[in-house]
Amino acid sequence: MKSTTDTAKESELKGRKPIKSGRERLAPLREHYRHHALGFLTGFILLALGNGAAAAIPYTMKLATDALANGESTRVREMALALLGITLVHAVLRVGSRFWIFRIGRKIEYALRNQYHEKLLTLERNQLNKWRTGDLVSRGIGDMIAIRMFIGPGFLLVANTTLAYAVTIPVMVAMDLQLALLALAPLPLTIYVARLLTRRLYGLSRRMADQFGQLSSFIQESISGMTVIQAHAAESRWKARFYDESEAHYLANLNHARLHGLFAPLMGLAGGLGSWIILAYGGGLVAEGRLTLGDFVAFTGYLTMLIWPTVGFGWILAVLQRGLAALSRLQDVLVLNGSDVLDVDSRQENSHEKKSGCYDISIRNLSFYHDDAKLKDKVKILDDISLDIPADAFVGLVGPIGSGKSTLLHLLARIEKAPEKSIFINKEAIEDIPQARLRRCMALAPQENQLFSIPVRDNIRFGCPDMDDKTIWRYLKLTALDREAASFPDGLDTLVGERGITLSGGQRQRAALARAWIMEPDILLLDDVFSSVDLATEQSILKALHDSDRKHTMVMVCHRINALLAADIIFVLDQGRLVAQGDHETLLKQSELYKNLYKQMSRKQALAGVQ
Amino acid sequence: MNAPAPGISDETRYGKFVDLLILKRFFSYARPYSRWIVVAFCLLPLAAFTQLTQPLMIRFSVDNHISTGDMDGFIIVILGYGALVVLQLAVSYVQTLLHNILGQRIVRDLRRDLFSHVVNQDTSFFHTNTSGRLTNRLTNDTESVNQMISAGLINLVGDILLLIGVAVSMFALSMHLSLITLATMPFIVVATVMITSRVRKAQKKARVMQADMSSMMTEELEGIDVVRLFNRQKHNHQAFDAINSRYYHSTVGSTFLETVQFSFVETTSTAVLALLFWYGASLQESDPVTLGTLIAFIDYIRRLFNPIRDLSSKFTTMQAAMTALERIFSLIDQKPKLNRSDFIGDKTISNQTPPSIKFENISFNYGKGDVLKEINLEIEPGERIAVVGPTGTGKTSLIKLLNRTYDPVQGRVLIDGQDIRTQPLSEVRRSVGMIQQETFLFTGSVAENLSLGDSEMSREQMKNMLKQAQAWPFIKGLPDQLDAKVEQRGYNFSTGQRQLLGFARVLASQPRILVMDEATSSVDTVSERLIQEALQVLLKGRTALIIAHRLSTIREADRIVVLSNGKIEEIGTHEALLQRDGLYAKLYALQFQDDLISGDVAASV
Repeated sequence: MKSTTDTAKESELKGRKPIKSGRERLAPLREHYRHHALGFLTGFILLALGNGAAAAIPYTMKLATDALANGESTRVREMALALLGITLVHAVLRVGSRFWIFRIGRKIEYALRNQYHEKLLTLERNQLNKWRTGDLVSRGIGDMIAIRMFIGPGFLLVANTTLAYAVTIPVMVAMDLQLALLALAPLPLTIYVARLLTRRLYGLSRRMADQFGQLSSFIQESISGMTVIQAHAAESRWKARFYDESEAHYLANLNHARLHGLFAPLMGLAGGLGSWIILAYGGGLVAEGRLTLGDFVAFTGYLTMLIWPTVGFGWILAVLQRGLAALSRLQDVLVLNGSDVLDVDSRQENSHEKKSGCYDISIRNLSFYHDDAKLKDKVKILDDISLDIPADAFVGLVGPIGSGKSTLLHLLARIEKAPEKSIFINKEAIEDIPQARLRRCMALAPQENQLFSIPVRDNIRFGCPDMDDKTIWRYLKLTALDREAASFPDGLDTLVGERGITLSGGQRQRAALARAWIMEPDILLLDDVFSSVDLATEQSILKALHDSDRKHTMVMVCHRINALLAADIIFVLDQGRLVAQGDHETLLKQSELYKNLYKQMSRKQALAGVQ
Repeated sequence: MNAPAPGISDETRYGKFVDLLILKRFFSYARPYSRWIVVAFCLLPLAAFTQLTQPLMIRFSVDNHISTGDMDGFIIVILGYGALVVLQLAVSYVQTLLHNILGQRIVRDLRRDLFSHVVNQDTSFFHTNTSGRLTNRLTNDTESVNQMISAGLINLVGDILLLIGVAVSMFALSMHLSLITLATMPFIVVATVMITSRVRKAQKKARVMQADMSSMMTEELEGIDVVRLFNRQKHNHQAFDAINSRYYHSTVGSTFLETVQFSFVETTSTAVLALLFWYGASLQESDPVTLGTLIAFIDYIRRLFNPIRDLSSKFTTMQAAMTALERIFSLIDQKPKLNRSDFIGDKTISNQTPPSIKFENISFNYGKGDVLKEINLEIEPGERIAVVGPTGTGKTSLIKLLNRTYDPVQGRVLIDGQDIRTQPLSEVRRSVGMIQQETFLFTGSVAENLSLGDSEMSREQMKNMLKQAQAWPFIKGLPDQLDAKVEQRGYNFSTGQRQLLGFARVLASQPRILVMDEATSSVDTVSERLIQEALQVLLKGRTALIIAHRLSTIREADRIVVLSNGKIEEIGTHEALLQRDGLYAKLYALQFQDDLISGDVAASV
């Protein structure tokens, strides 16, 4: 009953995705396999030699035993020495071959992970948005480990099992065919039981992990929603629910333990059965004189050599399967082609030598859609926008939430891809400008002022890693962050984030502004960078931006009036359309929407004043 | 039990006996299973016996039957040997299962205890203990305690027993060979422990590096826009390559150690065997070693290795569990400030009519500076009070005192003339319906979110609640209706729909008081209309205290309380307050007149 539903589930899972051919799956590895072909060959030869040495050990033991039984003590000593020697040679070969092959796996893991990381950095945002961040990260860590297991231990186990059988079986048969057949008889059974158990255990351990995940998320959610639970006096009911959750987790663990505990004893039994047959039947043969005591010892030795590779058989298949699944998950990302490039030819320093240029922007019939996964449809964000931004102007963007202001900035900054021939910078279509040049002349301080958990210094000079402290302090001063930065525990060396200081919203905004501004870009794009900054500070930063001796074209999404008053020209957006443009005075007269927005902003400001 | 010696302070005593105290406390969780524990300990000698006798049987069959060719009774020895192997495997299975069950059960109980404790904490507890930390205590820390029981504690005793048994048996078989074997033991023990602990350290290091890589990737992907904007791809990739390469070099090192560890047991035991052959040959003349003895010795040596190898890892498991237990118990020792069971009043809050509420000389703070100062407010039964005021003036704190999220530092809150601290906490909370700004929904179904685990609530009741809250129309439209899935935090519902579901949920306990922190965020016009309609139903026949952000809510209120800096600045009807031309008039002009402008724009900035 249970197993039928399991298989049904399995086939359903398989059915969801078209099964890729093995060749297709192995595509990311082909080049690496070719590169390490000689290495794999060397590894295989070492393994073969190791197995040869291993097979010599029971034989030497046989000779020693026979000598001991015959009372030839000199020969026993010789054989003891030989045994010691062969064991040491075997150990060296064994450690050597395993290490050699595993190291190839590690090497390929390293290279693949780098390759994957490089690919991630060149992809467009909408390409990355197909997956959750955690999913992408687990492909780079967990799946990569599964692939390494496929390459290293996978190869080793397959080769080793084959070699072990190839070496031992002829020797055993040569010693006594009948005993060999009898002793080997339980091995197919071992393979069968091991395979069966491995497969079922895999399902059970999945369920156990799922149950643990469920318990964790129940706990996490209960804590997040504790206010609700307590306000509804539902504590006792929640305890009851936890009681059930923990019981389910316990039962899942128990089910797993029941079968998992069986694994070692069953394998011991399967292996022990062979030894028992050798003892029972072989013992009789020795007593009859058809076999020597040494043969008896050697037989047991050879059987021992075979047991672990046999038991491991079920495991090999699991490793290979998991590796192939991981490979196809990796391939999903690797086949994508992004627009960015990793290796930027020109150096960052050039940006400072370059003289200030005049950069105008023109937008022609720009429409832009977002893929909405939920609606399975495209949502129009920008609708046929055409506008001109003169060089060195300070431009304001206003509009209600969802009117497309941020999207417009993202398209200008090319973190989203605009349709061809819709955005021009100095008459040049944005898609034709090389990445390095574009990034050098343009900087954006985004609304989600993401900082990284690196020192404050490195956050500020994120785009120009060689910038000196003096310049950094200058820009911290311009963004009114210098005094606070000086009070950080380790100054500029202070780490940002969990293991360092937590910056307030306003501090993050100003840091993000400094990070963009320090690039001294020709075009500076600012997305609502003052929402958590007090009015006086905002005013002083705006003044600094305006007075800056380096001319730049500045486009800013405004939610507060100070900036609007300072802007040379303001574009008003509504539902993705450009509905009005002009300076503040003109717009107040001409645009009802602008008037309302302005009134709204001034009220908010006045309200803040009351508080 | 043992009185502290004079001169030793509690502090130093605690430091000294810390592990014993923790263990003692922990054993209280094991007590319900003491019978099982006794069984587990009784199985240990049996397990050792089945292992120790096997080599002896082999020796007997080789020396007395196979070598001599005398096969009388051989079959019995062989069958006996087989039975012993089967018995050993059976016992080991029972042991594994028993230890697992014990560990899982004890940990399950510990978890339940800890969870109950957490659920009963008051709000300040959740400010000092983040959700991540609490989740970690309840999942990972308890899991390492499980490891200690299922893999550590009892097995450790069993291993020691086996080691002693093997030593005794070997000496009984052959003094000379035992001495030779014993001579190699220090080398084997030291080498095993050294390799094992190094491998473990290397593996730990590798895990840390894996975590580093994964947090680096996470942060980078979350900030991919910034990475691209500042053209940092190359730089970032170099940084990633550096850590990836360090990971490679470190793991290659540990791989070598692991392969050595893997081969060590087999190689060493074969080497010891060679040694035994050598001496066996020399002893031929003086103290002849039989072949059976030799084979038995090989067997014993193999059985020695596993316990030795596991010894150090078991101590590590114990250590980890001790630290985890210490953290768990220190959490359990945090007692809630709110007294939950101090029902000392003579009368429970009556249950029919809307009650009166009185805030009597209330002051409140969160540890520093007063948030509320000498608040005096009397609310008539069925009255509707709107609370307004600039942000950060204690509005939210005021309503939180009413359902005892916090208790006031000074003064009393009375419902129907009864100090709420003299009433059972759950009674108070059931009679005060609380609606938050943001409705928190749990993952699960709509029904589960309405009942919050109350199995007695019927589906009819739920439908009724939804109907009253104007939420039934959109729930009815869903394919699974009451069983419709609610995703994490209810993100598959709009803000307005979540609010309506919150309204419905609060009706479950038929509260007589409604406390609401009106949402500031805007919702679409349809939802807005539904919310207003639902609110009318909800407020009917209830005493209400609402932090108001919408003009309509204020206009519907009987009285308006204006808070400023933790004090009641003004109080009265809308008209009266407008006439006064004070703070309310000012706020009204700035904040609420927006509602008169077209809703669209007002909602947007």
